[in-house]
Amino acid sequence: MKRLLNNRFFRWLYNFVAPPGDSGIDLGRRAALGAGVTGLGAGLLFAIHPLSGKRSFDPGLIRPPGSVTEEQFLARCIRCGECMKVCPTNGIQPTLFEAGLEGLWSPVLNMKLGYCEYECNLCTQVCPTDAIAPLTMERKKQTHIGTAFFDKNRCLPYAFGRPCIVCEEHCPTPTKAIWFVEAEVINDQGQKLTVKQPRVNPELCIGCGICQNKCVIKDQPAVYVTSAGETRNPENQILLSASDIYG
Amino acid sequence: MPKKSKTSPVVWLRRAVQTAFLLLFLYLFLETAFHDGNVVGKGVTLFFDFDPLVLLVTWLGTLKVPASLWLALVTVAVTLLLGRWFCGWVCPFGVLHNAFSRLRKQSVRVKLDRDAYSPHQRWKYYLLVALLVGVLVGVNVSGWLDPFSFFYRALATAVYPSANYGLQELFTWFYDKNPGVGPARVTVISEPIYNFLRGRLINPDLQPQYQWGLLIGAIFVAIVGLNFWRPRFWCRYICPLGALLGLVGKNPALRLKQNPELCNDCRLCVADCPGAANPQMTDGWKPSECFYCWNCRSACPHGALSFGFQIPRKDPDEKTSE
Repeated sequence: MKRLLNNRFFRWLYNFVAPPGDSGIDLGRRAALGAGVTGLGAGLLFAIHPLSGKRSFDPGLIRPPGSVTEEQFLARCIRCGECMKVCPTNGIQPTLFEAGLEGLWSPVLNMKLGYCEYECNLCTQVCPTDAIAPLTMERKKQTHIGTAFFDKNRCLPYAFGRPCIVCEEHCPTPTKAIWFVEAEVINDQGQKLTVKQPRVNPELCIGCGICQNKCVIKDQPAVYVTSAGETRNPENQILLSASDIYG
Repeated sequence: MPKKSKTSPVVWLRRAVQTAFLLLFLYLFLETAFHDGNVVGKGVTLFFDFDPLVLLVTWLGTLKVPASLWLALVTVAVTLLLGRWFCGWVCPFGVLHNAFSRLRKQSVRVKLDRDAYSPHQRWKYYLLVALLVGVLVGVNVSGWLDPFSFFYRALATAVYPSANYGLQELFTWFYDKNPGVGPARVTVISEPIYNFLRGRLINPDLQPQYQWGLLIGAIFVAIVGLNFWRPRFWCRYICPLGALLGLVGKNPALRLKQNPELCNDCRLCVADCPGAANPQMTDGWKPSECFYCWNCRSACPHGALSFGFQIPRKDPDEKTSE
């Protein structure tokens, strides 16, 4: 036993644990404790302030597909920007305070700058910490990141009685999540005519945002996506599932 | 007085290795893009996988770690033996700081005055402690300061978009104006270059743009600029990964040794030490600040310094350990 402990490796190991003389890092007990208390205090403050990512339901906080629950997401995301680099539409952007102070520079989808391409799961392939968990293409296409809503005061067929079907044409789901109701309206010229008014099917809509991106009204699109209905958050749903109703 | 020693071949080797790792980082950055078959380039997260800080905060915060991140234990093992060798030879952000530190031209006298060890270098350890305690109470903001995240984020949201825009505009201007003399026009050269870069570096179809890219870029420029204040400012005072590796490698097996009979206390080694690790050994060498850059050994006109593997002993007469 004694011979074993005299072994060079064990002597090095011993000396590593109890190094000879000064260690070279003399942090000082008080200063180190101060740093710890700072971290603790900042953590607790972050957790309770009203902007906290855990309680914020910022409608614009649309995370990339495959993102884990918000609490897990903030615990994992290291703001490296790989997802932002890889996104082929430039839709994934760094946040400022949408996800709370502590969420600064975590990824969020901005549907005016880009959208979530239906035939793409690149961001789920690059996340080094699985804040965006890997998704097969099949599962990605069924993952809701939000839901689209129409602003009837701005949408052409509703507001002006003028025909427009741009959003429906771009909608990528196999059965289109945007569908039409033909309605007889009086248009902005006072004429009576029939137009197709778009609606959203919240079960089919995955919130990809291409409708918002392509909407002919550019400054404040007449169709927009919010995070409501996102797969990752059971508390941010629009539709009750059968199990919610029947227990 | 002996002649000034020539740059050690180890220093040249280090520069080659550093350049290679920086180029690898940039290559993997560009490979983080769409490839045929809807896949990204291979190994684009490699540097993050070898980052023990990412491993530690992910494990502390969630207890569930993606398998590839365990590669960071290799870095830990290397650091146990070689100290902060990683910072001096591998870290691509460190290479950048290294390069900008060298742009600072100062007399040896000023360097000795300002660049020696400062107790403020402990701030990085305090920062690390605060970050880790934050993770334990559920707030993980380590990514703001993790060196790879910091570098990659700035590249992705600020440097690359501006480079893409600038290059695209430049080559378009060449194409439109086509300046030159007689038959010798600029496009003869610029067009082949553009055709080579298009798809590799320049993306003409999608100009990347990021909200707050300006803010992220400004912080990046400020941090790099601090190298003119103190060499490798980030690595000395801020880097939480450097602090973690400094703690892991606080008593490494590869150690700086001094032959006290050859040393005449000229302190030229101090002027060349980017980490302020006290290579002159008064108050002891500081392994947790040493990047193993070999500058001190290269700078010593008397050959008094050398690196070697050794088990640190509790020998008060030996100056190699503190």
